[in-house]
Amino acid sequence: MNNEVDNSEQKKLIGVLGQFDDSHTLVHACEALRDSGVKKMDAYTPYPVHGIEKAIGIPRTILPWIVLSIAAGGLCIGLGMQWYTNATTQLLPFWSGYEFRISGKPMFSLPANIPVTFEVIVLSSAFASFFGMLVLNGLPKLANPLHRIPRFKRVTNDKFFLMVDVNDDKFDASQLRNNFSDWGATDVEEVFQDQTDWKLPAFLKTFAVLALVLMLVPPALVFRARGMTYTGTRLHVVPDMDWQVKFKTQTEGPLANNDTTTEFFFQDIRAQFADLPGTVSRSDQSGDSEFFKGIRAGSDLHSSHATPAVLASNQEETPQAETPQTEETATADETAVDEPDWVTTIPSQIKVDRDTVMRGQRQYNIYCAVCHGYSGEGNGLANNRAVALSTSGESAWTEAKSLYDPTVIDQPVGRIYDTITNGRSTMGPYATRIKPEDRWAIVLYVKALQKTRKDAVSKTTEADSDSDKKDSDK
Amino acid sequence: MAITVDNLTNNTFEDPSRRAPLITGGLDNEGVTEVVADLAEAPSPPRIWWVLLAVSAALTAMLGGLIMLLIFKGVGVWGNNNPVYWGWPIVNFVFWVGIGHAGTLISAILFLFRQHWRTSINRAAEAMTIFAVVCAGMFPGIHIGRVWVFYWLFPIPSEHLAMWPNFRSPLLWDVFAVSTYFTVSLLFWYMGMVPDLATFRDRSTSKIKKFMYGLFSLGWSGSARHWHRYEVAYTILAALATPLVLSVHTIVSFDFAVSIIPGWHTTIFPPYFVAGAIFSGFAMVVTLLVPMRALFNLKHVITVRHIENMNKIIMVTGMMVGLAYTIEFFIAWYSSNPFELFAFQNRAFGPFWWAYLAMFTCNVFVPQLFWFKKIRTSMIMSVIVGIGVNIGMWFERFVIVMTLNRGFLPSSWSYFRPTWVDIGMFVGSFGLFMFLFLLFCRFLPVIAISEVKGTLAFQKHMALAGGYSEDGDH
Repeated sequence: MNNEVDNSEQKKLIGVLGQFDDSHTLVHACEALRDSGVKKMDAYTPYPVHGIEKAIGIPRTILPWIVLSIAAGGLCIGLGMQWYTNATTQLLPFWSGYEFRISGKPMFSLPANIPVTFEVIVLSSAFASFFGMLVLNGLPKLANPLHRIPRFKRVTNDKFFLMVDVNDDKFDASQLRNNFSDWGATDVEEVFQDQTDWKLPAFLKTFAVLALVLMLVPPALVFRARGMTYTGTRLHVVPDMDWQVKFKTQTEGPLANNDTTTEFFFQDIRAQFADLPGTVSRSDQSGDSEFFKGIRAGSDLHSSHATPAVLASNQEETPQAETPQTEETATADETAVDEPDWVTTIPSQIKVDRDTVMRGQRQYNIYCAVCHGYSGEGNGLANNRAVALSTSGESAWTEAKSLYDPTVIDQPVGRIYDTITNGRSTMGPYATRIKPEDRWAIVLYVKALQKTRKDAVSKTTEADSDSDKKDSDK
Repeated sequence: MAITVDNLTNNTFEDPSRRAPLITGGLDNEGVTEVVADLAEAPSPPRIWWVLLAVSAALTAMLGGLIMLLIFKGVGVWGNNNPVYWGWPIVNFVFWVGIGHAGTLISAILFLFRQHWRTSINRAAEAMTIFAVVCAGMFPGIHIGRVWVFYWLFPIPSEHLAMWPNFRSPLLWDVFAVSTYFTVSLLFWYMGMVPDLATFRDRSTSKIKKFMYGLFSLGWSGSARHWHRYEVAYTILAALATPLVLSVHTIVSFDFAVSIIPGWHTTIFPPYFVAGAIFSGFAMVVTLLVPMRALFNLKHVITVRHIENMNKIIMVTGMMVGLAYTIEFFIAWYSSNPFELFAFQNRAFGPFWWAYLAMFTCNVFVPQLFWFKKIRTSMIMSVIVGIGVNIGMWFERFVIVMTLNRGFLPSSWSYFRPTWVDIGMFVGSFGLFMFLFLLFCRFLPVIAISEVKGTLAFQKHMALAGGYSEDGDH
């Protein structure tokens, strides 16, 4: 590893090197050499000496053009990557894109893609200019005969050097020596290349062969594994949430304490909590259709869970259908639709008495009155506000129906029960919030309310709607 | 020895007839080499270096321990809570990334403007940039929850995830911006260092050093052809890094500004963040360079004039930041948006009033001291103001993030309290930063030797032309 080989007994002359003490004499020497017709020469300086390119005749590098073309490639890759991954699906058979729909915005919009595109351009051009510079300069260069010369070590400190290549047409060692001295060189010497150290050290070959063999081991193992059946547990590097520290339902629950008296966290040993009082279970409502669905058992549409009627009425009662004329057609249509066989009387489980009506009133005032109003005229506070917003075009809203609307009065109790259970139009379903018996209580209360107004409604609807308006204005 | 140490002359004069010298003490090329190489070649660094290294290594170890704690326990070890989701980690991230802006600004923008004084400070500033970005990148990196799948941040095809990043999210822009910034800064730093590593290679005597410096200097020989391409590549990198450095903090500010939150959703954020970044970055450079030039005898290369120039930039950017604070308040009032106005009232007079006061005092009032030449040329005062500015800039991000504690929902209003892990990690990040910087001081060229020699040549050239006072005999 001794770099400082004695130059006097080497093999091949490669050039003549002159040392200068300052940049001015160096530049003058370069100019003089060039005038004398020498072309293959290079100067070595501790810092970039300005004007030396001209003196030596170094053409301008093509590096900027390389960087420009890579930058253009970066632009295409940056934009293409974003378009492919975020705005397409299944374009290629592998690595499918993934469409991100965000707030209904377009899948591909240039402004949002500028930052990433810009960064990709900058990154690729920076790599291009750094590595382009290295490649054009032939770096990294692991061996250079110049570095064997002790004097040349000062090129990175304070001395300036000029070398003429032996391959130049005008090369003449003795004449160059004289010329260099005339131009102010403080030292001139011939540079030789010792070709003996071109040989690779022997250990490197062994090392390379060994490394190659070792590199083949992992792929070999992979191929072996692919060709055989493995019955053990699969290797799972990052388990994520595949195995969680938790107790599954219907299994034995955790112990409350770890001493010998076995005491479970829940008294019935299970790992789950029993239903809290007041929760509405929807899982065991399949048996009694009349009670849970409001549909007579054995009717044709029984098995379809009454959804067709819900869907049909949802489609009809769009906001546009709320004008008086279409109301009539809607009513007409409603009868035409295949209605399930609604029950017409309150199921036998519900006791029709004053207590039930009072309970119905209580539930009605909690859940229904915000829209339908305490008196049932469809003038609840939430409804009034929503109507005001929809007339100014800020939102869409289907008005809450008055319970005294003829179409509502004509509805069988099963239909009203179904409305509460599954909702209609903008009205949401209350199945999760109100128990079935309370829903029936509300139906009872609604029927009671309707009875109080039967006479008024039968006279005229005009007057009614006027008085409604007055109410809501207050 | 070519070092002639005469009295440190005053080179801060402003005389239109004479340019002040940037390198004093009569240093020539060899002198500059020796001043810089002495640090790396000294048999043992000063005792204070060992003390600081021990302290910072201990803090780095603590940081590592806390990161392990975080990974094993989850982000709950931090104080992040419901309205203040991002907490200290993002405060620290923005703080460090902001500090990381001065290096590339000095090396790129000042290079394009041909500011010769940058050559003495750019290497250390770039190193500081890289170490600061390392600290910055760490915080969001460990904040993602499942650190072991951090690569999902990047658009890497993965069968496991089967989806791509959302390219329209500012958080993803951040990933691209910060990683590009880190890579380009590293390239820029390394490329500038190659000729200086060659200097170290040619001077080193130990085998290990010779090998390592030889490896990383890529066989640099100082050829004029190489210098030509090198300079072109350096200029291109500078031209790329200039928009990059402005884009990075702009994109960091998008993390806040693109969200629709009062106090964050403002267009002033990008310019104000960039100004703040330059402000804090220069403050950190001054804080580091003043002790460094005293400890390592670099007073003739990093002169009072260099420090003064940086102090002037601190003052200007400090006033920009002050203007932004004021304009924010004005716009909050002018917008007549009660939520916007509340957000700003909450910043200044809410529960974090003390942080706002600290921010405003340190960032707006303290730099005003630099109007006095005596203060901005005083080394002690420069460091004090520099530290003050960095405290202020940390509090700026603290105020922006923490005042989310009073959002739209008064029921969730609360006070943010960091945990000991938050504080430990912030302190630990300083340890990591100092640790890396101390190693840099010891083993790498802290001054861009070749560039300083270029400046020296320019200085000499101007002296010959009669416009330069060569050794500052004022």
